[in-house]
Amino acid sequence: MYRSRRARSIENLIKTIEKLSIDPVYDTNWSDMSDDIKLKCIGKLEFKERLSLRCTAKEERSLVDSQKIKFNRGRFWGDEEDLGFQLYCDNKKMFSKCLEDINDGFELMKYIKKIGVFENLVISFENSLTNHEQFMTDDGLFTAKTVEFEHGDVDNVIAVLRKLKNTVESIEIDSEITTSDEFAKLLAISNIRNVPYWHIQDYEQTDSLHKVAQMWIHTKAKVGSTFQVSVNKNSSFHEFWEHFIDRIVSKTDKRVRIRTNDPDHHILLERGFDEVVEIGEYLTQYFRLMVITAEMNESEYNDDCKEWILKLDPEIYDEYDSDNSFDNLDDFYHEE
Amino acid sequence: MSSTEQGTSSAAPAEPTTAPESAAAPEVPESFYYVHGKDKVVHKVSAGALQHSALIHGMISNLGYTEEQAKANPFPFENIDGDILQMVVDWCNQHKGKPTPPEDTNLPKQKEKLFDLVLAVNYLEIKELLTYCCKQVAMMVKGKSPEEIREIWMIPTDAEDEAAEKEAKKRAGKEAAGETAAAAGDAK
Repeated sequence: MYRSRRARSIENLIKTIEKLSIDPVYDTNWSDMSDDIKLKCIGKLEFKERLSLRCTAKEERSLVDSQKIKFNRGRFWGDEEDLGFQLYCDNKKMFSKCLEDINDGFELMKYIKKIGVFENLVISFENSLTNHEQFMTDDGLFTAKTVEFEHGDVDNVIAVLRKLKNTVESIEIDSEITTSDEFAKLLAISNIRNVPYWHIQDYEQTDSLHKVAQMWIHTKAKVGSTFQVSVNKNSSFHEFWEHFIDRIVSKTDKRVRIRTNDPDHHILLERGFDEVVEIGEYLTQYFRLMVITAEMNESEYNDDCKEWILKLDPEIYDEYDSDNSFDNLDDFYHEE
Repeated sequence: MSSTEQGTSSAAPAEPTTAPESAAAPEVPESFYYVHGKDKVVHKVSAGALQHSALIHGMISNLGYTEEQAKANPFPFENIDGDILQMVVDWCNQHKGKPTPPEDTNLPKQKEKLFDLVLAVNYLEIKELLTYCCKQVAMMVKGKSPEEIREIWMIPTDAEDEAAEKEAKKRAGKEAAGETAAAAGDAK
């Protein structure tokens, strides 16, 4: 009995050894991968996992930080108490965080700024960014194709514009730009001077059109450069043609076309109004300013201004539609 | 025999290994090559399947081996475990001449095997398979915390890294001192 148990043990041991010699012993791990392979794997990680990986060790942090990640939309928001982030990939929210510790928030922002390549970036800060040393002293730049500013003052807008790569194609400002001085500060920013499209919603002065045109004449802006503005005062159009009275090529109640110093380029100002958007002393006015080729014929002008007005005020036609629905309701009752 | 030696051993044009099956529709016969890993087990793989590997494809593109020559000179990949090479060969055969699907669910799930496969695939320059493998590696840590990732991927902490570096320096210093002492002894 004793001998047979021992024999069985020996048999088992032999089997185990045989098995060990057949199955290779693996001891390869993440640390055995070259940086090139690690970077390929990091490229497949989602944002949350990248954040975790960069907390494991210094070496991993520097690798993770060297790898860009594409977001189709990012929203950075903040007030006196919190700092928040929402990041979207393929139109799906992939990361959302609200941090009460502002310092942690700016640290996270620094990382996102470093690795994020944004299709659309929305900046919405109610409090002043300029008071935060962490933000102001960070040299990193945002990479974004389009930028939208919600809320905040001109100093916030300028602080972010200064931290934006000059590859930006569109800047939309829905912040409080109230005075001519603030507008002048914006015009001094290189991204504003070079961006193909920018707009301001609800500017409170009437000097924006001629100032932008003057800047474009000075900077020899490219054909296609566009500025749009909605204004709640009445004399922007008038101020523009009066300012450029010596340069006027043509003028109607809807358009003014002026010469620039380049014989091949003209600047066209259009006033947006139609059966919905009307011109009136107390109504918001919509303008579009564009650099065009001098050869452009008047027959090539597009009279449909709805599309570009919607960029400035996406809800204006909704209001009209709802007005109409009331009209229809009246009709309905009349018919009854 | 090393792959370099193989590469220079013959430049003869490839000869058909089998006669065409039909005289009416003559087909170019497929040529085969042989590879082995650390375990010396030889795998027969078609040139079509080997096209996935940029490394091997570059090696065989101007080789012009006959079947016999190819059989006699298998490509040795001593740095790749036998079963890992088997996986690579299977994948190349499965995807021979086919568009690669966006996902590959047949990859190993065990981390060590997967990391070995990654290293092999990277060495053999099989781009699509490397992409799948990297995706699989990334999936291992989906939703994990830094501590969990460190555990799964066995990432040493900064302190462990520093200690290992210190130890390596100490060892190198000792070895250098030993060599100097030995050289001084020889001079005497």
